[in-house]
Amino acid sequence: MTNMIGKGAKRIDAYDKVTGKGLFAGDYINQFPNLLYVKALRSPYAHARILKLDVSKAEKLEGVVKIVTGADADVDWENFPKSAIFAKNETIWAGQGIALVAAESLDIAEEALDLIEVEYERLPHVLDYYAASVANPASIIDPEFETREAPSFQERPGEKPKQRKSPNIVGAYSLDAGDVDRAMEKADIIIEKEFWTGKKTASALECANAVARYDSDGGITMWSNGAGVHGVIKAAVCRIFKMQENKVRIIQPYMGGSFGSRLNPYVEILTVLMALKTKRTVSFEYTRKEMYTSAPSNWPCITKVKIGAKRDGTIVAHDYYLAEEIGAAVNNTFFTGRLSSSGACCVYNIPNTRMDTCAVATNTVPAAEYRGLGCPEAEFGIECVINELADELKINPVEIRLKNMLKKGDRNPYGELITSIGLSKCLQACADAVKLNEPSVQPENGPWRRGKGIATAGKQNTPLGRSEAEVRYNSDGTVELLISCDENGMGITTSLAQMVATELKMPMDKIKVIKGDTLVTPYDNYSASSRTTYNTGNAVKLAAEDCIRKLKEEVAREFGVHPSKVEIQNDKAILVGSHVQEVDIPSLFRPTSPFSQGNWGLQKGSPVVGKGIFCPAPIHMWDAKGKSDRVWNWFQYSACAVEAEVNEETGQIRIINIASSADTGNPINPKLVEGQIEGGVMMAIGFFVNEEHLYNDRGEISNSNMGDYRLPTFLDMPKNKNFASLINPDPLPDGPYGAKGMAESITIPVGPAIAEAVYQAVGIRVTGYPMTAERILQLIKEKEAAL
Amino acid sequence: MRFDNYFEPTTLAECSSLLKEYGSASRLLAGGTDLVPRLKNRQLKISTVISLQGIPELSRIEKTENSMNIGAMVTLRDVVKSPLLTGSLKVVAEAAGHISSMQIRNIATIGGNSCNASPSADSVPGLLVSDAVALISGADGDRSVPLIDFFAGPGKTVLREGEILTGFSIPRTSPFTGATYEKYTIRGDTDITIVGAGCRLNLNKQGVIESARIALAAVAATPVRIDAVEKLLAGQKLTDELVKEAGNLAAANISPISDQRATASYRKEMVSVWVRHALVEAQKRAIAAIDKSNEQSSSSVEWTYYG
Amino acid sequence: MSLVYSNGKTVRVSLEVNGKKLTADVAPYMTLLDFLRKEINLTGTKHGCDDSNCGVCTVLVNGLAIKSCTMLIMQANGKKITTIEGLEDENGLHPMQKAFVDHFSVQCGFCTPGMILTAKAILDENPHATEEEIREGLHGNLCRCTGYVKIVEAIEAVRDGEYNPGCACSKEV
Repeated sequence: MTNMIGKGAKRIDAYDKVTGKGLFAGDYINQFPNLLYVKALRSPYAHARILKLDVSKAEKLEGVVKIVTGADADVDWENFPKSAIFAKNETIWAGQGIALVAAESLDIAEEALDLIEVEYERLPHVLDYYAASVANPASIIDPEFETREAPSFQERPGEKPKQRKSPNIVGAYSLDAGDVDRAMEKADIIIEKEFWTGKKTASALECANAVARYDSDGGITMWSNGAGVHGVIKAAVCRIFKMQENKVRIIQPYMGGSFGSRLNPYVEILTVLMALKTKRTVSFEYTRKEMYTSAPSNWPCITKVKIGAKRDGTIVAHDYYLAEEIGAAVNNTFFTGRLSSSGACCVYNIPNTRMDTCAVATNTVPAAEYRGLGCPEAEFGIECVINELADELKINPVEIRLKNMLKKGDRNPYGELITSIGLSKCLQACADAVKLNEPSVQPENGPWRRGKGIATAGKQNTPLGRSEAEVRYNSDGTVELLISCDENGMGITTSLAQMVATELKMPMDKIKVIKGDTLVTPYDNYSASSRTTYNTGNAVKLAAEDCIRKLKEEVAREFGVHPSKVEIQNDKAILVGSHVQEVDIPSLFRPTSPFSQGNWGLQKGSPVVGKGIFCPAPIHMWDAKGKSDRVWNWFQYSACAVEAEVNEETGQIRIINIASSADTGNPINPKLVEGQIEGGVMMAIGFFVNEEHLYNDRGEISNSNMGDYRLPTFLDMPKNKNFASLINPDPLPDGPYGAKGMAESITIPVGPAIAEAVYQAVGIRVTGYPMTAERILQLIKEKEAAL
Repeated sequence: MRFDNYFEPTTLAECSSLLKEYGSASRLLAGGTDLVPRLKNRQLKISTVISLQGIPELSRIEKTENSMNIGAMVTLRDVVKSPLLTGSLKVVAEAAGHISSMQIRNIATIGGNSCNASPSADSVPGLLVSDAVALISGADGDRSVPLIDFFAGPGKTVLREGEILTGFSIPRTSPFTGATYEKYTIRGDTDITIVGAGCRLNLNKQGVIESARIALAAVAATPVRIDAVEKLLAGQKLTDELVKEAGNLAAANISPISDQRATASYRKEMVSVWVRHALVEAQKRAIAAIDKSNEQSSSSVEWTYYG
Repeated sequence: MSLVYSNGKTVRVSLEVNGKKLTADVAPYMTLLDFLRKEINLTGTKHGCDDSNCGVCTVLVNGLAIKSCTMLIMQANGKKITTIEGLEDENGLHPMQKAFVDHFSVQCGFCTPGMILTAKAILDENPHATEEEIREGLHGNLCRCTGYVKIVEAIEAVRDGEYNPGCACSKEV
């Protein structure tokens, strides 16, 4: 079995994980006997002036070693990642850091927090788009936005909005393709609706955790569960603390899930801060509460969708507004609405598309990446409107989508070429799996009503920099693959090993993957935007090819043939036209002795190393109309069909039957892809039906725990036999082995499919999510009252 | 989390005197599933923990001539599995079985659930509709309090300093009785209850309600009984209209709060829904008891229908 | 005399962990979770929250699944604890572990130790647990990666005898 592409190879890290032998960041603390523990005091108010902050009593507590506050002038707070910026005179979200304590034990650190005296003067706060984006909001998160210069490392020309409708609008982007107004006039039917979405936290099971060892040369070695050892963490540590690159080593142990939330360093920076200040080894684990109040959330989106169509279902124009709620982000250079609104250009061929998007700051925890990068939020309204169109025009929801879908070779409204789209197959497969055309069978009695719905989604893949890989062929024929992309749990180390196994035609058990250590493994930005299979995969393929080329050369020289006459198969080299047809490669690595140490060639113990570097094509800056022929690399697609039931007495939604299909390109490991489908669907059920941040009157999250923040449990998924995870690949021409990433697109269509199922069941249309029981019941009652 | 002293008394007397000595700076440890999180999150800071592990008589379920006695330290798991809690006493086991997850029920105790005195304590309505009496032991002797009078507010009971809840006594009830507890949450049992509706109907052989019990969790400062509905139902045969009326009357008789789990208006609405469901189910079970009695010989009436 | 511990000194606990008897001197306000992870360096049991909502801290105490983050070490005194490290023996992985590997029920791995032990406890008590009973028994254990699908599959495979001694298991792909 030497071609491992498309095979369900067992995960190479499964043994470590089922035995508990694999170490996660927090498991390292036992190795450091004189550890300092860090705890943070957090603001209880969404907006308040700090009148007094007195840490003197806490500092006197025995065992307290250092306390840092936002007022400390020697800390470069302004350049800290957003959710790690501690408050100076004013706190702008509940959960923002007020003081950071390092002490000899966790108990002492916690006691010290109780001894810190803070006096706040409450100020008005704005918690969402509606409150924040008015001309005179009750609170302005970043009053200096217009006068401040953008930090040099994040140039994003043209994004500062010119005429801001509100002082909390801190980023903008617009697209003007075709002629929307004229096209809209020709529409037979126009549907126009506004949608909102709630704020969520990825809630990975492992809390943010870092252990930073202070090295004798003043450098740092850190184990953390953050993402991007090279591209995110090391880069941030060197930049913020002005440390030499040769003095910073970042190691990523096994990591308990990310879903994008770990892409902005926060615990890592605060831990290094304390390590440098105390010159000791420091450990900082966020509490579960802090993961809600003080670690990044998603960015909710408000969308206004206006779609015009002909009676036959052809969509003629799309007028789209989107606002991203980015939380208490000061000095925003990242958010403009462009990422999220890309969802409007992925799936359908609508040449007349206008997008007006912006980013809005609020007094809530700063946002960062969360599976889907705003596309679940952005596409919800679009898919709901398309389903409503289908209902109004009495056109099958599959037909209306197929009619308007982009095809390979088309250009989307941005002007980008669609090189791979397998969505029509996904759509049909899902419709078939839930028998979409057959109406639900209603239960004979009781308050539950059933309905079915379907939706599609697309998501861009953002080109996010360089990946490198190294393949080391050891003198005994075993191989090490060195990579720095993140293994969040999706199984990338296994798929990459499968690629190496395929290239070298060797069994998987001879390949060991070394990951995530900046001292050892070569550069990679990070795993995000579903880029890893594509980006790092291409680098791995190049590294394997390089290794093979070098082995061929060695063999060729040894046996006097042209390298093209040599084939590498595992630990054998097959030659053509020589006195030898097959060579045992390890035997070519010579041991050395004083009598044979003149060997400059293959040496026992010295591996042959192949290196690969892969960079995706750079973005072409968009023009004044927002158009460009190349921004996103490629697109991933998914369809979802759902049968749901709604309880007319309580408003609860239960998923009875679900089919989800991903267009993954050629899957490297179909079992891992299934895992992403299943996990993505579950995550989506959670955030579309139940999950949201709720606030008390202080503007603090009132459900900052894993009981009241309603994450899906075993009971929230349908029975296994009613869950179909379907892979319908369309090979990506430039993907390694035709593969592309897919873990995000899966989540997007689940919500609109549920929304349509709810409509079919009880006749109400939601205009936002989460579709909690209270909201559904409210809509049911309003409908009853209107009758 | 830190505390200074840890005791494992072996007698109730010892326990009681320790409680008196350390007063409000001490807490009893039963299963720990409420106490330990509060200590860890520093919501509670005390000097002394007194474990009840060493007092075995608190862990028994015993049936006597006229009552079923459940020790305070019986784990929820053991309450659920007890072969003694049958018939109309099944509601006690079912209600206890709705608490949280299997892991929690493996060590949490039925006494601890009452002493923690959360308004949403699920085992309490099961006990309330069964007319349970709280058995209390203290330095000044033993006393008993009807469970409905045991709760004084969120997290507060009527236990005085030095007193320990030792168990519950459930009186024998009439033969044609059906009881149920409906726990309403969004996800499952691991959610804190939004509305919990307990109901017991004691019917006569003709199916007329002789007495009714309605106990609700999570809708007031303590678990409550709704007298107005109990009075409405007494002497009547249950009909669809009566069920609806009872549900609405229950909702009209509570003033719940809004919190991160539900709004007040939603809770009110859910009270009317779930009291209706509880009534229908309790009625079904009571009728089943009547039907069963019609199949049995009269000599075995006494014990067959106990509980 | 019932005083076990008073300010500053430690308490001697005796328990059996994964078949090995041990004693230790600890502060009684240590949770069983902290004891396992910090005192005896068994880091396979994880810490994910502090109010027993997530389930990653689940271990078996006298065979019963318990969330160790809300149990004091004193409550484990004299008891038999099984952690994830105690499942593999000289014959190899426990059937539940094997099933999780074979069925791709592991992704990030953080919920896995708690999940495996809880699943084992469910089948130990109820060897013919239905899918409903499996889901009900496990709903105090959260997972963010798998969607629970392949976890249920693995447990059903163990239930259905696919990992009994003598059966072909760990089927190669």
